[in-house]
Amino acid sequence: MDVDEIINKPSRHPYQCIASVTKGVQSAPNVYLLAACGPRLHSDTGKDEPNGNDEGERPAKKQKTGSSAPSSPNIIKLTVSPDQQHAVAVTDDKVIHVFSVGLDGALQELSERAMPKRPCAIQVLPDNATIICGDKFGDVYSLSLLPKEPSETADATAGARQPQSEQPQPTEQEKPAFKPSATNLTVHTKRNLKALQAQQNQKNFSARKEPLKFEHSLLLGHVSMLTDAVFATRVVEGKERGFIITADRDEHIRISRGPPQSHVIEGFCLGHKEFVSKLCVIPKTDLLVSGGGDEELFVWNWPEFKLLRKFDIAGAMFDAIRGAKDAGKSAVEAAENAKELQPASEHGGKAISMHRINISGLWTAPFANGKGHTETLVLVASERMPALFAVPVNRLQLKKRTELTDCVLAHPPLDVVSIGNSVLVSLDCRSDDGGPLIHVYKLKQGPEAKGSILFDDDEEMMHKLSCLEKVQAEGKFDDKKLDDLLYGVASLRKRKGEDVPRVPHGDDEAEEQAMGVEGYGQMPKGEADI
Amino acid sequence: MAGPPKKRQKRDDKPDTQMPQKKFYRQRAHANPFSDHDLVYPTCPEEMDWSQHYPAFTATIPAGVPKDDPITTTDWDDHYLHPRITQDVEVADIGCGFGGLLFALAPRMPQTLLLGLEIRTAVTEFVQEKAKALRIQQDIASREGKEQDLVPGQYQNLSCLRANTMKFLPNLFQRGQLSKIFLCFPDPHFKARKHKARIVSAALNSEYAFVLRPGGKVYTITDVEDLHVWMVDRFEGHAGFERVGEEEVEGDVCVGVMRGETEEGKKVERNGGRKFVAVFRRVADPDWV
Ligand SMILES: C[S@@+](CC[C@H](N)C(=O)[O-])C[C@H]1O[C@@H](n2cnc3c(N)ncnc32)[C@H](O)[C@@H]1O
Repeated sequence: MDVDEIINKPSRHPYQCIASVTKGVQSAPNVYLLAACGPRLHSDTGKDEPNGNDEGERPAKKQKTGSSAPSSPNIIKLTVSPDQQHAVAVTDDKVIHVFSVGLDGALQELSERAMPKRPCAIQVLPDNATIICGDKFGDVYSLSLLPKEPSETADATAGARQPQSEQPQPTEQEKPAFKPSATNLTVHTKRNLKALQAQQNQKNFSARKEPLKFEHSLLLGHVSMLTDAVFATRVVEGKERGFIITADRDEHIRISRGPPQSHVIEGFCLGHKEFVSKLCVIPKTDLLVSGGGDEELFVWNWPEFKLLRKFDIAGAMFDAIRGAKDAGKSAVEAAENAKELQPASEHGGKAISMHRINISGLWTAPFANGKGHTETLVLVASERMPALFAVPVNRLQLKKRTELTDCVLAHPPLDVVSIGNSVLVSLDCRSDDGGPLIHVYKLKQGPEAKGSILFDDDEEMMHKLSCLEKVQAEGKFDDKKLDDLLYGVASLRKRKGEDVPRVPHGDDEAEEQAMGVEGYGQMPKGEADI
Repeated sequence: MAGPPKKRQKRDDKPDTQMPQKKFYRQRAHANPFSDHDLVYPTCPEEMDWSQHYPAFTATIPAGVPKDDPITTTDWDDHYLHPRITQDVEVADIGCGFGGLLFALAPRMPQTLLLGLEIRTAVTEFVQEKAKALRIQQDIASREGKEQDLVPGQYQNLSCLRANTMKFLPNLFQRGQLSKIFLCFPDPHFKARKHKARIVSAALNSEYAFVLRPGGKVYTITDVEDLHVWMVDRFEGHAGFERVGEEEVEGDVCVGVMRGETEEGKKVERNGGRKFVAVFRRVADPDWV
């Protein structure tokens, strides 16, 4: 690539999250696509569009989240209520934004609520009134979709686009003075006394966290880093019951009852040997698909906490890497970029680049079976890999070696949503002005092997969505920052020896710094022995 | 963190029958419960080889894996081929430190398997070494017919495992497996910002409830009144637990042992301090609403 090419290299901000909203009557629904581009949320219809002439093309509606500060927070999660009345977006400043979706697909922001920690999973429950939100710190909260206190509710009728944040930062005077939580009278061992003194000697205590100023409740929590949370329903004792399924970086999948009994843990699906990053409950079945850093996808009967089988996703990925050559230059480049650098400590003193599985997406999507009937399949993405992997739901349980079908894409897939029988795939094609930002496929059963899936281009739908191709994030964006926004899964992998303090043993202070433990540094050696 | 070479060598120098010395197993007091620590832990409870910990309880006839066991229905790699033991661990001492409670409790319940769980490597090794030495001493006493030196169970029913219980309790124990959990003198983590590091919290109590059988108990003791109040609040506020009445608490031998035999308990005694005890019973899960 010569200098000229580099300078003129086109850059487009991809859509990091996409979702669909269906409006109108069932017989003639209007389906709108919601697409998050950096801090902006676009909504546009995939229907009703006059063919192609520039005049008739509807511009995509833009809705910016948050304030118009120079660096607006990026959208990191996007979901729609089951009744299609509301959209919920999470931005990387930990704020949950709720929008109403009008009959014409127009979005109106109703509320902004700042959570204490960065959300990593969000869903509107089937009651269309409750949001569950999991954060990285391990906690899962429920909050009402529409904030309850009248004063706190943004005035939607006034068309307030930027409602007051419901959790204003406390001013200096408002901050409650820090009060040490023990007195000299209630501490009796030397060690605890020292710890208390150490704490009392410290100058700048951070104030106790302001309680969230909106209705919310803590449903459950992991000490491990939470990666995903999904709500699932199932008939128990003749009635439909809710469950919350959560996954963490320490290989756990936990099944808890849904609210109001979310304190009851029903069981764990244990078997992963690396982090779990994504969960996918298969509708109308008891099946759960999970993936993360392992070379296999796991299929569970989740109500029985039973592993049914695994799928070799690493094998499928290597097929895809081989197939990338046929898929053209950009796919080869992307596949090469997907390699991770492994530190020398992991490989006998030599750093190497290699492909690893980092499951970044699991979705269900429709496909046409051999008879032309619509069935469901699971689509899988591994971070930065320009490919999607597919397996029909009715083959998930087969003990026989059903393989995953791979479809090599020009660029890494970021998000997937289905509209009717069309499967929309948002691609990270920031460096490629030729390809579409959102590629649309129709999936069908292949002729040869029973489980194989064909990915056909859906030109019609792609054309309808062409207006979205013209919407660009304003200004320049930084490649590195975009990478941080789009690709966080690989960093979940544990590295051997990484958090073991590499300092001389016995050097308490250095050790504590290395381990991120503060507050006990002042303890003399020898006292700290029980 | 196995300690500097010198300490390690001193530890290794002692004959098997001799008790380990605490001074060779000292370790800085705090390990970050949020770190990865290069911990070794089983993927699931079935994978755990308990026969290493309780060799006297190893099943003599190779125990057939029950038909409904998920292990037998899988058709790929993970078969957990290790000896079975005749009964499950039922008592867990979480953050057991140097194991004072365990060594005092084991002879009082010789038919029950007790396990100490400790995040610090050296401290864990101390408890393991001490158990080994005591078992050998008991063996010798038994062979030499010194009845008066024998204790019930001969320390075969206690062991210790390095674990971060705040993350990996469900990897070790099945639902309802435990009848007692001890939380003795947990680290107080005074700062509000550090409360998430406390070993008692609404979220963790759900895990304690999961591994405890209905009717099972959680025992807590601390010298920090504030922590006591915190723990009581968290357990009383959790629908899976109810507080055990004073009379029952005072009549419970475990409470006496907890007050008098834990290392921390003894220290508080020496300093003339107060000890706050609270016991909670695991109630059955509610019906679905
Ligand atoms: C103050 S000591 C009490 C020791 C003993 N229970 C006693 O009463 O003498 C607290 C112990 O808990 C251990 N600990 C802290 N967090 C832990 C965790 N997450 N998992 C296992 N042990 C932990 C510490 O290493 C320490 O040994």
